[in-house]
Amino acid sequence: MTTPVTTAPTPALPGPRPHPRHESASGVSFGRVLKSEWIKITSVPSTVILILITTVVMIGLAALLAWQTTLSLNVEGDPEMAAQMQGPSDAASAALGIPGSGLAFGQLLMASLAVVLVASEWGTGMIRSTMVVVPRRSLALLAKQSVMAGISFVVGAGSALIGYFVAQPILNSADLGFALSEDGALLHIVNTGLVLALVSIFAMSIGTLIRNTAGGVVTSIGVLLVLPILFTVFGMGTEWVADAGRFLPSAGGDQMVATTIAEGAFTQWQGALILGGWSLLLLAASLLVTKKRDV
Amino acid sequence: MIEAQALSKRYGTKTAVDAVSFTVQPGKVTGFLGPNGAGKSTTMRMIVGLDNPSGGRATVNGLPYARHKAPLRELGALLDAKAVHPKRSAYTHLRALAATHAIPDSRVREVIELAGLGPVAKKRVGGFSLGMGQRLGIASALLGDPQTVILDEPVNGLDPEGVQWVRRLAKSLAAEGRTVFLSSHLMSEMALTADHLIVIGRGRIIADAPIQSIIDGQGVARVRVRADRPQDLLGSLAADGVSSQILEPELLEITGVEPRRIAEVAVRNGVLIYELTPIQVSLEDAYMQLTSQEVEYQSHSLPSSGLLAASTEGHRA
Repeated sequence: MTTPVTTAPTPALPGPRPHPRHESASGVSFGRVLKSEWIKITSVPSTVILILITTVVMIGLAALLAWQTTLSLNVEGDPEMAAQMQGPSDAASAALGIPGSGLAFGQLLMASLAVVLVASEWGTGMIRSTMVVVPRRSLALLAKQSVMAGISFVVGAGSALIGYFVAQPILNSADLGFALSEDGALLHIVNTGLVLALVSIFAMSIGTLIRNTAGGVVTSIGVLLVLPILFTVFGMGTEWVADAGRFLPSAGGDQMVATTIAEGAFTQWQGALILGGWSLLLLAASLLVTKKRDV
Repeated sequence: MIEAQALSKRYGTKTAVDAVSFTVQPGKVTGFLGPNGAGKSTTMRMIVGLDNPSGGRATVNGLPYARHKAPLRELGALLDAKAVHPKRSAYTHLRALAATHAIPDSRVREVIELAGLGPVAKKRVGGFSLGMGQRLGIASALLGDPQTVILDEPVNGLDPEGVQWVRRLAKSLAAEGRTVFLSSHLMSEMALTADHLIVIGRGRIIADAPIQSIIDGQGVARVRVRADRPQDLLGSLAADGVSSQILEPELLEITGVEPRRIAEVAVRNGVLIYELTPIQVSLEDAYMQLTSQEVEYQSHSLPSSGLLAASTEGHRA
């Protein structure tokens, strides 16, 4: 007698899966990480609000300074003003620098934002998600730096350009209006964006090194905005301090947006070299250190 | 498949992971079990490259994790449910991760549904409970439809339904031929989910075997004995290298010797035995025995433990 063999419905033996299913077309690339960082930055409402505020305030400051410039020119017989402004030609060259007059304020906010963006990844633990998805850490950091630098450039150059157009009607009332084609006008506007971009790289690198929002903000603001004040104060008596002060990142930035170059001062391009040098140096250090560190 | 070769991690003078070697095979759920601080998470973090090993190496599907062109498609990991920016929604968090590998939005929605996060997908992650955070972590681990999945303490904070879901998920992933590597400090959890166990204690592998053989291996010779002169019995057995525990004046638990041998010794020494029960070891016990020497943060009994001891005895009787 034979018992009928009942075969239980055995599931097909799972062989090793043919992996990866989607092939190399869907690997990590710089462009894709850029997109990921863009999503990250734009998906936190407070970041977007801060960027918008920075732009609006920078435009507002340009308008305000334009108004103040015309006002000071109209004040006749004021000896103090007369001493400061020696004739309309000085006022005209000062007017050239009006579009980017919100730069100091912009630096303060964008540097802080750059630090927050990177340090909050460590603060929230997000960095572990980021680094698992993109294990090539330099790629991940460079993408974040690029997105933030790009945004900073657009905020800086954009608000300077809008600031230019907003300021023109105001300046025209005092006959101080100027064309974009005027010597140095466009360079000033573009460099306002460039300074902001380089400053964001500088600050984000510090944030990456320190990995702490408060510490990173204090350090980068300290270096960018407080250090130059100290150098000015102590540089008044000591020549070498004043000399060294010219090589501060902020001094480089100041020269980049200068519309008149004083005798013996650095040119715009030399200024770019100084600020850019600092930013690249810190960027390289932050990449190197992050590569070695545990996340 | 995950392979670790002499993988080590030292923090200063402290060795967290001490030259561990193991292979996690595809097609089954491998449990990674050990007390807190045993080195489970550190080992997993080294596999995905978050920690740089002090020595040795780990590979995922044949290559170090970071060397893969599309790492997310090779391995998905839940290492830390809180690895999320609290102001982002679950959906944008996953979308940001997916963008790095050009994983389409449809897949993002798929894993959101799979993890049961549909109703809260657009809410800020900051308001999530631990259990929802775990679900989001598991969703992100599955995003790339990876061949290998690492889940560090996945059932932490999950409700009973969630715990069952993780169990089913782990098993079904393994049934599809994927490599599933799951850590826990809870033996009972492993008993229900894992096919194979790697037990770690103080940074060393203390067992690497199919789950049944670990139970069997630890359970051979634990016997409960009631005898009228326990000291005499123990004295005679001492030579055999047994260990024992006196639970009550006349109740012993003897480990390392067969019941028959105990009976023989008792007869020879004229000790009266009135109970001789081989104890079927639970996985929990097997685990406790394996790791008793390896627990880093051991809890010691309280000095005045009269009440506590009484209640334990009552429990055992």
